Order: sequence, then structure tokens, then C-alpha cells
Amino acid sequence: MDLILNRSQQTALVVLRTLIGWHFLYEGFAKILWPAWSRDGSPLARFSSASYLRASSGPFADLFRGLADLSFLPWLDQLMAWSLLLVGLGLMLGLFTQLACAAAVALLALFYLSWLPTRGVYEPGAEGNYLLVNKNLIEAAAVGVVFFFRTGRIAGLDLLRGRERARPMRPVAEATR
Amino acid sequence: MNLTPEQQELGRRNFLRVLSGTPALAALGVAAAVKGPVRGGPVRLGFIGLGGQGRVLLEQTDPRYAEVVALCDINPLQLQKADASLVKASRQAVKHYADWKEMIEKERLEGVVIASPLFTHTDVAVGCMEAGLHVLCEKMMGIDDASCRRMADAARRTGRVLEIGHQRYYNPIYQASYEGIVKAGLLGEVYHARLVWHRNGNWRRKAELPSADYDAARWGYPSFDHLINWRLYKQYSRGHMAELASHMVAITDWFFGAAATAAVGCGGVFRFKDGREVPDHSYVTLEYPGGRNALFTSIESNAFDNYYEAYYGTNGTLILRGEVEAYLFEEGAALGAAKPTGVAVAPRNGPAGSASESRSADAAGAGKGVGAASGGGDRLAAYRLEVSGFCAAIRTGAALKCGPERALASARACIAGFDAIETKTRVEIKA
Repeated sequence: MDLILNRSQQTALVVLRTLIGWHFLYEGFAKILWPAWSRDGSPLARFSSASYLRASSGPFADLFRGLADLSFLPWLDQLMAWSLLLVGLGLMLGLFTQLACAAAVALLALFYLSWLPTRGVYEPGAEGNYLLVNKNLIEAAAVGVVFFFRTGRIAGLDLLRGRERARPMRPVAEATR
Repeated sequence: MNLTPEQQELGRRNFLRVLSGTPALAALGVAAAVKGPVRGGPVRLGFIGLGGQGRVLLEQTDPRYAEVVALCDINPLQLQKADASLVKASRQAVKHYADWKEMIEKERLEGVVIASPLFTHTDVAVGCMEAGLHVLCEKMMGIDDASCRRMADAARRTGRVLEIGHQRYYNPIYQASYEGIVKAGLLGEVYHARLVWHRNGNWRRKAELPSADYDAARWGYPSFDHLINWRLYKQYSRGHMAELASHMVAITDWFFGAAATAAVGCGGVFRFKDGREVPDHSYVTLEYPGGRNALFTSIESNAFDNYYEAYYGTNGTLILRGEVEAYLFEEGAALGAAKPTGVAVAPRNGPAGSASESRSADAAGAGKGVGAASGGGDRLAAYRLEVSGFCAAIRTGAALKCGPERALASARACIAGFDAIETKTRVEIKA
């Protein structure tokens, strides 16, 4: 049975998807762009996840710290950057939305597990105090909402693809007409 | 095609639904283009001219901003010293060239730093810009008005960055003085500036021949003396006006917000009658609009005053001394009642105590020490900021502090000053 949402609810879901998409897209874009220069004229070094990985915390910290010394880490960094960018594009444009959501959750799960907040106090690099729940987890939950509401059917390039167009989600007014 | 209003509305809505995210993507993309980072690593630079000034610039090149790719100098000994500078800074020695054209042809450069003799600036800078390279050229811009204009025209025509090395623009003390005092109007009306660069010593240098068979004629010099002491001969140099006054005049233009309109001067070779052609004593008054003037003096017979710029206003006097000290005196206050500037007095044996050819030796030898000892500025920071600012301008389009227009105005004033001494006439600087 198709879920029936009014226009505001549909819009809210698409806006949520777009905002999450931009977050991913820009994270990937900036990492691919580096080495780069900020607009104020300061150079930005090439992106490397090494320092992030070395500072991992939580029960899986050793595993992630081990990744920091891998010889092929630069390749992993590029893979990560392009993944972020493609997931972001998918979410923003509503193209392969379900796949993009699944990938986004997987990436966020990685970020969450590498910095799992078990201590409940401020940690260097974090911008707040977290215990078990942090912004990565909340963003993953938000992506889950976007996934389960199949927002590709509401708006986006998925509408041009047969599968999604075959099962359009109707607004309340149309559905009850 | 005939569509009902309902069909049109439906079609419009479908279109927008399909394009969901795209308008946001476009808007945010614009934001990223305006605010986001600009692609590119350190700027790939070649250095042309590795004498004292060139080596200071080389040493002050921040590797985060620029990668030194190649060095060029017609004197192999200078290249050896430059290599030593790189090694001292834990950086790798790079490829050497004697011919700048060969260097820019063979190396994949984005920009060049030119610190060659004054008379070569124009040909080298224009040649590099026409080859697509950005240029940071040491002061003074060019040896004559036409040369300077050629450089400015080339920058406009090629769209390349051209910055002229008046480091005072990057000196935090001068910036603070301009923003906090001059621009704020604390000096009142300023009608007179004193620009002083006094030294007590011989400007002529002695240098070792690079090799027994070294032929200066290959590079257009009639003798090795001319190559080393080019500053003393009119065909290569404009003497004190180019090497010393140009820095001070550039700052005076900035502080006055105007360019000089005429020059009156006198001077000559009075002490060192050794065949040199440029004065060892120079006295030039530059006239500015609104009845203002700047009096520049440079002597080679007494170093008591060292070097400073002083701006005398109806409400106060600002003195900038040795590039590391600043004093502000309230007009009418008791003698010596200086307003604190946060910059203390440097030792008497300041950086201009010796007669260096310009400030390179001063900067390299004494700059940091004096700054540190006085609690004042670090003169070398201005060089560092200058090279970094040049690189930032290339990458991000950040505004230059001393681009062609500013440099042209101060160069024309200095050239007029030199001509005024030569001709013993008042030389008008026509717009």
C-alpha cells in the first residue's frame, strides 16, 4: 500500500534529503579539491584521513588506527572522497535514491564506529559532548527516514526511471479525490 | 502546441519535481565557487636573479605557498649561494639556468620571481608574462617611464599577475600605521614628509670572479665590475632613487592617497669619485597635489639618521624607522611625549648602518634580530608575506598590495627625481 503524504510532508522529506545530500557532496568535493586554497589566500594541504584515523576512539579504535598506516591509504582517501561526492549527488538529485541512502548509512556507520562516543565527555576534535548518540548517528537515522519513505518517488531524477515512475506517491488531495 | 492552464501547471510541477535538488545544487554550487576553496597546490616558481635580494626572497618563500622549481642567474657563484640557502632551509637544491628564456621554456612554471638588475626588469617580466607566467618583480618597476608602461601594458594584455616588490606594503607596521593612524585621520592634514636613507660607506662592491674564464661580455656587460656594480652606472640603474627612494615613495603615495606631480632635485658624485655615474648624495623634493611634498635625501657620508619615513601632520607626527619601529607624537604635546605604539626603539646600530646596495643584506643580516631585540616587527615577515600574497593572488585572485598601477606611479616619481638631479631642473610628471 502506498503511503499517502500531504504536500508539506513530501516537501519536508525532499528538503531533508537535499540537505543531507549537500552535506555529503561538499564533504567529498572539498576532499577531492585539496590541495587547494581558501578564498582568503591560505593554502590547504592535500586531504588525508590519517590524523582522523589515528585519533579514533571507542571499542573499534585499534582497527581504525591500523588503517592510518596502510600504504594504500591515499587510495582509500580518494575512494572515500568520491563516495561522499556520488552519494551527495544521488541524494540531491534524487537519482538512485535508495542506493544513495544505503551507501550514506554505510558511510555514516563507519564514521560513527570510528569515533564511538563511549566516554560521555568532550573529546578533542568533537564540537560537543556526546554519549553514544552523536551527530553521525542522528544523520544516519535521518537518512533512514529518507530511505524508508522512498523520496525518489516524490521528487528527483528517479521519476524519469521506469521503476519509480510506475509507483508514484500521490499527494493526499489527489489520493482522496 | 495548445495546453490548458491545468496542463501547463501540471507540466511545470512535474518539471520541478524531477529537478528536485538541482536548484539547491546550483545555488550551493555558486556559494562554493564564491566561498569555497580554489583548486591547486603550491605555486610552481622559478627565480631569476639570485643576488642578495633574490636570496632573501628565496629564503622567505613559504613551501606551503610555493614550490621552488628552478633558479636562474648569470653568475654561478650566486647560484651556489642560493643552493646553500635552500639546503639550510632543509629544502632540495633545484635545477640551475643561466638563461631565463631557457628556464621558462624547459620548466613547467606558473610564476617567476625577478630580482635581476633594474635595466633587465622589463624585458624579463614582459617575456615571462607573454609566456603565460605570473611575475613578482623586485622594485623599482623599470628603468624609465616607457619600460614601466610596457610592463603594466603586458600585465593588462596577458591577464597575468604582476606585482612589484615594495615589501613595505606587506609590513604589518606600515599596515597598522595606515589603517590606525593615517586613514583614521589622527595626523590631521599632512603637508610634508621626510624620507631619509643615510649611510656612511662605499656602495661599490668587490666580488670574486666566478672563474678565470668568466666572460661578462656574454651578458652585455663591458666588464665584471659593471656586472657586479651595475647600481653605480646610469645605463643599468637609477641610483638611490630606484634602489632606496622607490620604497619610501611608494609608501608616501599610499599614505597621501596620491601620486607625485613634479620633482626638484640636486646631488652628485661628491665623495666616491671612482668612475661611478650615479650620485652618492641625492636630495629630491617630490610635489604632491594639495600643496604637499616629500623630501627624500640619501647620503653616503653619514649614517646618524639611518633610514626612516616621517609624516608631519597638523595634529601629529608619524615616524616609521628602519621598517621595524613606529613612533607617533602628538602635535603640541611636550617634547618627547610620544603616544605609545607598542613598538619600541631599536638599538642605535640599526640595519642601515652599513652601506648595502639595497636592503637585502640588512634584511637578511639584521632584520629579525633588531625586531626581536626591540620587541618590534620582523622585517623578514614582510618578504614572506609578499611572496605568499603573490602566490595567493595567482591561485585565488586575491588583490595585490602593489600591482602595476601603484608601482608605476611611484616609479615615475623616482625616475623624475633622478632626472631632476641630472638636469638640475624641475621635472613635471605628466599623467
